Amino acid sequence: MTQASNTAMLAPPPRRRGWLPAGLGPATPALVLLTLFFVVPVVSLLLRSVLEPSPGLGNYAELLGSSTYLRVFLNTFLVSGLVTTVSLLIGFPVAWTLAIMPGRWARIVFAILLLSMWTNLLARTYAWMVLLQRTGIVNKTLINLGLIDQPLTLVNNLVGVTIGMVYIMLPFVILPLYGVIRRIDPSILQAAALCGATKGQALRRILLPLAAPGMAAGGLMVFVMSLGYFVTPALLGGTNNMMLAELIAQFVQSLVNWGMGSAAAFVLLVATLALYAVQLRLFGTSQMGGR
Amino acid sequence: MLLSFERLGWWKWVLVAITGLVTAFLLLPILFIAALSFGSSQWLIFPPPSWTLKWYREFFADPRWLESAWTSLQIAALVTLFSVGIGLCASFALVRGKFRGRETLKAFFLTPMILPVVVLAVALYAFFLRLGLNGTVTGFVLAHLVVALPFSVLAITNALEGFDKSIEDAAVLCGASPLEAKFRVTLPAIGHGLFSAAIFSFLTSWDEVVLAIFMASPTLQTLPVRIWTTLRQDLTPVIASASTLLVLLTILLMLLVALVRKGFKS
Repeated sequence: MTQASNTAMLAPPPRRRGWLPAGLGPATPALVLLTLFFVVPVVSLLLRSVLEPSPGLGNYAELLGSSTYLRVFLNTFLVSGLVTTVSLLIGFPVAWTLAIMPGRWARIVFAILLLSMWTNLLARTYAWMVLLQRTGIVNKTLINLGLIDQPLTLVNNLVGVTIGMVYIMLPFVILPLYGVIRRIDPSILQAAALCGATKGQALRRILLPLAAPGMAAGGLMVFVMSLGYFVTPALLGGTNNMMLAELIAQFVQSLVNWGMGSAAAFVLLVATLALYAVQLRLFGTSQMGGR
Repeated sequence: MLLSFERLGWWKWVLVAITGLVTAFLLLPILFIAALSFGSSQWLIFPPPSWTLKWYREFFADPRWLESAWTSLQIAALVTLFSVGIGLCASFALVRGKFRGRETLKAFFLTPMILPVVVLAVALYAFFLRLGLNGTVTGFVLAHLVVALPFSVLAITNALEGFDKSIEDAAVLCGASPLEAKFRVTLPAIGHGLFSAAIFSFLTSWDEVVLAIFMASPTLQTLPVRIWTTLRQDLTPVIASASTLLVLLTILLMLLVALVRKGFKS
């Protein structure tokens, strides 16, 4: 025993390799990987936006000066805002219920929430393409109920994108909000009731303000994720309401216009990073996550 | 009163109704697709005129579907392996390292998570065009590794932060070599973190569409790319059967995770 601790005391201090900070060594593979296949490609893409076809800011001038592209920007923000608002409106009561309902039922709802979240994105989007088509179940049900005479156009437009994206984003609102509401001390609301507050007053003046940080964090995350979303808008949206990610893909894949494509990518990148900076400033790193 | 289910009065029923509707909204699309995959209608009419296994037969008879599933599996397995390995090393540096700027380094390792995937996809596509890596397994694995690594780093640093390093030191004092102590004491203790890292990495790669659309070539496609290109042509029920198989896989993975969590707890 004494011998063991003696050896430990006599052991040389950790060796310092002159040029590497102590303990950084094991991070090398990750650093190399991300530098080579993340930093270098993204930076060189951004360089192309100011170098092709000729050096200067021509691409940005064209992108921000044309009404066609401005419509895409506007539509991107519109869809993201709409998806965020609807997700919060639906997500808040669900998170609230989950936080207080009996555990057995809450577990079932959680299992369904996780199942939908983990199901392949394309499978989920396909499901909505089928459900919302002209002869789909949603239209049929509405006709059978006598609510409409003619099938509604629910895909390839704003309605389709919104439904499909809310479906994907809901868990990202419900889960953080659930955590926030769960941590609220119920006795605060009891105190409000004792002091004569009605349910409406307690909701407006206590529960909603206390849940606001969760709403802001979840909402911001959904908004940022929606800004750069590609798959669902491409499949459920129409040509009239194209979003930024599709525009980037089109510039690169169909038009092979790398200058414009990378300029649009840079705009999306700056918008995303700016909003994340706001989120970090407001809530710290703990809320980071999701794509 | 608002946080007590019993004292909500009639509000309780409003909340329960909304939650029920939202739960149905989340569950029904998945159930309908499963039902339609057994329906005989080419146009996905519900309820189906009759039941059949024809779409599953078509799925398994078409070598292109199976090949793409096999490609996806290989890529996801490689991504999982590298992501956990590299993530484990990086986590040791992030948790145990004594250098300045560890938080910044961690934030850097997590940035691929917040970057819009389409930006990374276009950037890597351009980069791989020069290297000739588009349409190769290497290209797919590298691209997916970049987006999977953050999940590994998060899961493993979390586990490692919760592990008391003095236990590892004790093993070294008892005569184990530092490496042996890491392998036989620390790694088993952070097993749940490694497991989550592996599951998240696998799913990230297996389900990834956007990077894959750009990396794919006519001869090398992952399953999501195959679904994507088929979807752009028509809504054939074969996709419903493929989706149902994917949902089954999801359920199996969820059960596995639940079982393993229980195992780690006891």
